[in-house]
Amino acid sequence: MAEFHLKILSPDGVFFDGSAKQLSLRSVDGDVSILAGHIPYLTAVGIGECRVYTDGDEPRRAACCGGLLNVTREGVFLAPTTFEWAENIDSDRAEAAKQKALDRIASPKSDAQKKLAQIKLQRAELRIKVAGTRK
Amino acid sequence: MASMKEINLRIKSISGTRQITKAMELVAISKLSKARERIDRTRPFYTELYSALSDVAAAVSPLDTGFCRKGDIKRRCIVVIAGDRGLAGGYNSNVFRYFDENAGDNPLVLPLGKRAVEHFERRGFELISDEYMSVEDIDVGDCFEISRLLCKMFLDGEFDCLSCVYTNFVSMLGQEPAELRLLPLDKELISDGSAPKFTLVEPGAGAVFNSIIPDAVAGLLWGAVCESFASELASRRTAMESATSNADDIIADLRLKYNKARKSSITQQITEIVSGAGAEQ
Repeated sequence: MAEFHLKILSPDGVFFDGSAKQLSLRSVDGDVSILAGHIPYLTAVGIGECRVYTDGDEPRRAACCGGLLNVTREGVFLAPTTFEWAENIDSDRAEAAKQKALDRIASPKSDAQKKLAQIKLQRAELRIKVAGTRK
Repeated sequence: MASMKEINLRIKSISGTRQITKAMELVAISKLSKARERIDRTRPFYTELYSALSDVAAAVSPLDTGFCRKGDIKRRCIVVIAGDRGLAGGYNSNVFRYFDENAGDNPLVLPLGKRAVEHFERRGFELISDEYMSVEDIDVGDCFEISRLLCKMFLDGEFDCLSCVYTNFVSMLGQEPAELRLLPLDKELISDGSAPKFTLVEPGAGAVFNSIIPDAVAGLLWGAVCESFASELASRRTAMESATSNADDIIADLRLKYNKARKSSITQQITEIVSGAGAEQ
């Protein structure tokens, strides 16, 4: 299977820089998968699981939120706002964040705050889900 | 010649000062190594981000999004990143001088860092916010908050050009103030002049840009904060190093004076004793 160069960089550092066979993630509009030879493509990243296929059948999984995905002829560049490999997720912290977000939604101080808490809840649930996939 | 007691007092006071400058130097060195690690982590992110943004700028048409509005610049907004404390050589004043040379008329200012907040408050600039008093404590989340606020103000038309004055960490010994243009997104501004490339944008140009540009601005701001903070520490380290060595020089000089004074007073005492003994005989 053809490979392409994939870079995943977030403000927290470099998460991936090398060849990959397939990249699947959730854009604001739905799930997308990128294979080698994709046309130049630009989209905004939503909140969802990100899978990177390198060798073998099992992908590396990560929780990926926000930012942009830019596919060029030279390679694929993913710049998420936050990115965490499944093995690095702190499940306890994610549970705590989920609980905090639920409390906030139950008694919001303002509409903006409620919206923010809902996004935080989504993120926490994603992290819990992705953490659950690790062995 | 000053008396021995006076010289001794001065030596003591300068030794005290030296201890402080030495301690500040050591603190700056230890913080600096962390700050440099942070730069190494974030640099690839925002250089890639910047080049991705220029691809975006090449693909975008002004109709798609409010972020690449064209027209005369009536009001500018500048984020200025300076230090939290002084005693960092020319770090703060270099940033402010650079600002004075490049800011133009009556800009809106968002100062980051205590020194910056105080400086612009005193000069009567219109500030967007004065709550970012500590550059050291600003994290990625704050940058996203700032960016959301600024992007909203930009779309509401409160200003039509956003840039950031920060200090570029060139090396341990050299830091340069610089300006980073953030908005509006402009082809001439960041494109390298190559022919525009076709890029498929999904779901739609407007939606994508409105969602990624605040993120990108936040990423670039975060990069600037990291650079500035490391520059502040490097600058403080250099300043404190030279202050410590100056203190050493002064102390050595004073020791010499003290010993001379001591010697001459002993000589005088001996002379007095000898001449006193001579008078008795």
